[in-house]
Amino acid sequence: MGGSPGGPVDKNQHEVEDWERLADAITTALDGKGIKTTDEHRRAQESLPPEEYRSLSYYERWVAATEKLLVEKGILTTEEIDERSDEILRRWGGS
Amino acid sequence: MSDHHPHEEAATMSPYAARIRAIEALLLERGILTEPEVQDRISYMESRSPANGAKLVARAWVDEDFKERLLSDGKAAASELGIDPTHPAEFVVVENTPEVHNLIVCTLCSCYPRAILGRPPDWYKSFNYRSRAVREPRAVMREFGFEPSEDVEVIVHDSTADVRYMVLPMRPEGTENLSEEELAELVTRDSLVGVSVPRYAGS
Repeated sequence: MGGSPGGPVDKNQHEVEDWERLADAITTALDGKGIKTTDEHRRAQESLPPEEYRSLSYYERWVAATEKLLVEKGILTTEEIDERSDEILRRWGGS
Repeated sequence: MSDHHPHEEAATMSPYAARIRAIEALLLERGILTEPEVQDRISYMESRSPANGAKLVARAWVDEDFKERLLSDGKAAASELGIDPTHPAEFVVVENTPEVHNLIVCTLCSCYPRAILGRPPDWYKSFNYRSRAVREPRAVMREFGFEPSEDVEVIVHDSTADVRYMVLPMRPEGTENLSEEELAELVTRDSLVGVSVPRYAGS
């Protein structure tokens, strides 16, 4: 990343959304409890497939990295996160 | 966060919005995190802002001893002003002088003195800033409407998980009669990252 060519810096600021605040809070709370570290979080982000790393938004990468670490550490499984988030999506989209 | 607003979320439609809610629910059920812990983190981040950095800078401008302490132990200096720097990372303040201008970046990700200044702005996290700040810092600063003169050395500091930097800008000319509070108002977030400098239009 550092030193690569790039275009002009976009100075627009997006409004932080609730889920992004939550992603921030959960990630740092897990750090605070010693369940994971900032370095591990970065490693998890950097090991995302390059196209995913580039296409995901900032907090999407955070969620992807936090999920990856929770699964790696055997705290949660991908299946149960899939299942629960499908439920949530149904609730949001439903009725 | 259980009382979230479904309509807002539906409008977002990032699948990751649902995933983080799912992760939250599971972590709370397992007792790995508690609701108050999550809420505390949210309120903590909301309470951080560039105003904290401005306060530190203004004090350093009016109090030479404080400035020395700020440059030698940033966390202790922040605590002195009632800013809780609770964060395991080091907080290092670098001083602009007539000879040296400092610029902060995190080429690896988005390391930033969050405990003092809050969340970094979007541009700080952008790929273009991260890649170009180290390669052509002057061109990047020009895009922010600022460029140090040719004889000033530009030093770029690359932040890490363990060391977070903030710039102590120079006090603008003509501000001798301003109060500490008025001085603090001149200190912008961008000047604390180094892409700009505080400006004073005069009285």
